[in-house]
Amino acid sequence: MRYLLPLLFLLAPAAALAGNNVTLASSVFVERVKEDASGKRSTVLEPPRVVTPGDRLLFELSYKNAGAEPAADFVVTNPIPDAVAYAGVEDEGALVSIDQGKSWGTLASFSVRNADGTFRPAQPSDVTHVRWSFSKPIDAGETGKLSFRGVVK
Amino acid sequence: MPGPASALKGALLGAVTAGFAAPAFAAGTLAGTNITTVATATYDIPGSGAASVTSNSVTLRVDELLDVSVARTSPGDVITFPGATGQLLSFTISNAGNGSERLALAARDAIGGDQFDPSVNAIVLDSNGNGAYDAGVDTLYVAGSNDPQLAPDSSLAVFVLSSMPVASLNGQRGQIDLTAVAVTGSGAPGTSFAGQGQGGVNAVVGATGADGVASGFYAVANIALSFVKSATVADPFGGATSVPGGTITYTVTATVNGSGSLLNVRVADPIPAGSTYVPGSITLEGAALSDANDGDAGAFTGTGISVALGTLATGATRAITFKVQID
Repeated sequence: MRYLLPLLFLLAPAAALAGNNVTLASSVFVERVKEDASGKRSTVLEPPRVVTPGDRLLFELSYKNAGAEPAADFVVTNPIPDAVAYAGVEDEGALVSIDQGKSWGTLASFSVRNADGTFRPAQPSDVTHVRWSFSKPIDAGETGKLSFRGVVK
Repeated sequence: MPGPASALKGALLGAVTAGFAAPAFAAGTLAGTNITTVATATYDIPGSGAASVTSNSVTLRVDELLDVSVARTSPGDVITFPGATGQLLSFTISNAGNGSERLALAARDAIGGDQFDPSVNAIVLDSNGNGAYDAGVDTLYVAGSNDPQLAPDSSLAVFVLSSMPVASLNGQRGQIDLTAVAVTGSGAPGTSFAGQGQGGVNAVVGATGADGVASGFYAVANIALSFVKSATVADPFGGATSVPGGTITYTVTATVNGSGSLLNVRVADPIPAGSTYVPGSITLEGAALSDANDGDAGAFTGTGISVALGTLATGATRAITFKVQID
């Protein structure tokens, strides 16, 4: 009996894996402004073949519920890489963290303490993590995309 | 076997420790830095409980941006005279890119639009980093041999030494252009050099075109008067020691460089503290002058000597001597 308890703990994550039918794929694109022969400007997404400071990046997350059951309480979290300044998100419902994921809220709800003790409103560049929390379950077979933008520091 | 949930914690903790480690450079993230992104999702499946999934990890390597600039640091025109050599113009070259970069330098002296062409003698690198030209200390630049390597966001002072043509005239200006070019490559912004950046990343020409140029000017002044002052000491015992009672003979030599003539040249020299003027000791070109403010050129004013040299033409030299006794 003494050795059964640890075994049970080992089994628990394995069971979770068995139901792990949601897939998540991450990809990054570089946003470039191209000018055609007539001088008309348009933004195009390119694979990140060449990336230099100042480039705008689009981080895209594709999810799919490949299982037979709906997935509830779906929460996606993406840390912002150190060398990237967060530059906003397409989806209104996303929450951000400016303290490495300890607290979450809208950017406007945070302030940052200055060296002299005063506070300033949090800037996009203060963001360390972005998170999406789905209020409705992801149905079986359902797919979707999430994205946020960043600028190479 | 670690549960998927611990993978999420690991990812977050990793970001915490790394978050404050990235140094901030005006030139941006250093070339070769990795940008890695990985997302995590958690969810609940009815009947199966909580689960999580981690996305694939995407890593980008930051490429090297080639940005170079040159600025003149000499405050304005360098005033010089015809035939002058070793005339100094100061510049600063800067690497505004995000990688260490070697810069090739060139100084052009044959430039249209100016009134004469200076002749560049040398480009010198401020190898001791003090921002000032030190003859014999700073390193002579040899193109292709010691092209300076500049760290990201760093600058180096560069000195251009030139000679002025003898035929240059009063009021004329001669231009020098100093150019610096990234050795890796330059050209239209966005031009890419695959694998040629720092550490094997791509190198990309930035907004500066990866080269820079700045102009400096030499202006030939009408005429320039220079002085050389020397002293010899005679002590009361027949030696040359500076002791009370000893006599110092000062020699002031005035030389005119440039073109044209100087009118109403007057040399004034105060008597040094701790010494007393020896009456009647002023000479001009070996001829004695009186101390009174009278018809001859010399005078003792009570605090110093004054000698009127009148009109001097280019090349003229006048030697003045006077004596003081050490108190």
